[in-house]
Amino acid sequence: VTLRSRVLAELGTVYDPELDEPITTLGFVGSCVVSAGGDVEVRLRLPTPQCAPNFAYLMAADARAAVRRLREVREVTVVLEDHYTGAEINAAVGRGDGFEAAFPGETAGDLGALRRLFQRKALVAREGRLLAAGPPPSTLGELSGPDAQRCRELRRALGIAADDDAPAFVTGDGAPVSDFVRFGRMARLTALSLDANGGMCRDLLRVRYEEEEGVAA
Amino acid sequence: MYEKDGERYFVFDSHLHFWDASPENWVKGQEQYAEGWINCFHAYMGLAPAETHWPIEKFQKYSVEDFEKDVFKAGHVDVAVFQSTYLKEWYTKGFNDIEQNAALLDRFPGRLILNGRWDPREGEAGLRQLEADHAKYGIQGVKLYTAEWYKGSRGWRLDDAAAVPFLDKCVELGIKNIHVHKGPTIWPLDKDAFDVSDVDHVATDYQDLNFIIEHVGLPRIEDFCFMATQEPNVYAGLAVVIGALMHARPRFFAKVMGELLFWVGEDKILFGSDYAIWEPKWQVEGFVDWEMPDDSEYSDYPRLDVSGKKKILGLNGAKLYGVEVPDELRLPVPADEPASPESAVGVR
Repeated sequence: VTLRSRVLAELGTVYDPELDEPITTLGFVGSCVVSAGGDVEVRLRLPTPQCAPNFAYLMAADARAAVRRLREVREVTVVLEDHYTGAEINAAVGRGDGFEAAFPGETAGDLGALRRLFQRKALVAREGRLLAAGPPPSTLGELSGPDAQRCRELRRALGIAADDDAPAFVTGDGAPVSDFVRFGRMARLTALSLDANGGMCRDLLRVRYEEEEGVAA
Repeated sequence: MYEKDGERYFVFDSHLHFWDASPENWVKGQEQYAEGWINCFHAYMGLAPAETHWPIEKFQKYSVEDFEKDVFKAGHVDVAVFQSTYLKEWYTKGFNDIEQNAALLDRFPGRLILNGRWDPREGEAGLRQLEADHAKYGIQGVKLYTAEWYKGSRGWRLDDAAAVPFLDKCVELGIKNIHVHKGPTIWPLDKDAFDVSDVDHVATDYQDLNFIIEHVGLPRIEDFCFMATQEPNVYAGLAVVIGALMHARPRFFAKVMGELLFWVGEDKILFGSDYAIWEPKWQVEGFVDWEMPDDSEYSDYPRLDVSGKKKILGLNGAKLYGVEVPDELRLPVPADEPASPESAVGVR
């Protein structure tokens, strides 16, 4: 296994916080170059120059942190290309600074609350897909597959019980679901919103970069 | 008017533009934003059928003749609403300001409705301008861009205290249709850019105003639906929904329509082409032909019949703007039912 493929595997753990999909499958990793000495340069590209700076920052910072987890890696540079706030974001990420340092005076706190809001949406959306697949079991242990696995990760990130005995379906606040008809409708809509949004991002990315294939993990 | 299979559809396009984004109109030092903005719009055109794509040069600046052909002649549109978009930080004369748009009114009498705009950050001067625009053009509606940049500010919210005098002024002057574009880059930058909770507040406080959420809050359609279902004066503007999804993502389009029909209902959905991003012709024709797919994934969505399509394509919008619809294009009133406000579309 080459170092580059391990770098790509790490990048595959970085999710678009809004779409709840890895940046590698979304095509957001435009290139990934690993030098013989172990220096890594990752170039990220987004569907439009005006994609929200907050999500763009999170992906760039998460990508840098993920690659830096590999012990063999030396310098890590993450470059967000062709973005209207790219210069600010690249400088802050390169320094290891937070989002508020990238845009002094234009934020009212860190991005933790935003990230959690979208983790809750992502959890509900995944549950919506699981509910569409069949009648709901009572415990998390009875659910399997990629959506169930991602639910466990999201629940852990949100501090919601994720062991096998925990309730299979919870609201974004962690409360066990009681009204499955109403919750199912809301969850299905949330899933559709993420899917439609992701589809539009892919379409715009494809139109923007035409033939330039991204790097997949 | 569009006719298909013996049915005739009055077409009210609630959202289109006549812009100038040519390099001559870019503000010095802001060229990257002016160019980025129009390139971004142009990318969206890429989601339409290939034969309707334009080269970037034409897309930056198209002629009155193009407009007439694409909208009124080939595009089946009876009446259209101009949404003014200023963006004067990036475009010297504005992207399409009210004066630019007004220049077309005389050329197409009775076919165009001019909407204005306001921005609470302009304070007293902005209020006076709104009064002047109303006095000069008799505007019935405005388009609000909460994400617009203004002197170092990257956006505003409808529930800001500064917006209150403007909303009050709209009530006072009878400017009753408030189109809201929910777009990216709102301040503060660490919050969700597409958040529609500000609309929720003002829709409750201002029951006399109609709030048309352009692009149905995409990509936060779930937040929009949960709100719209509770607020009787919140409408769904279909601009972008048809243009970006019907051709490029037909299965998503069907689901989005299904959710809108369920949560918002066919009486509160308005067609908008968002021309020149997308031409109206393929959107109108495709929407009339469109049917909810017949497989189990879609089984519990409401269906949309011919009368529902007539409402969405024209009658709902005509009602909001008091546009008279010819008798033969209205929905028939069943003889055993008293006429309801819904059947009196455009008659005021």
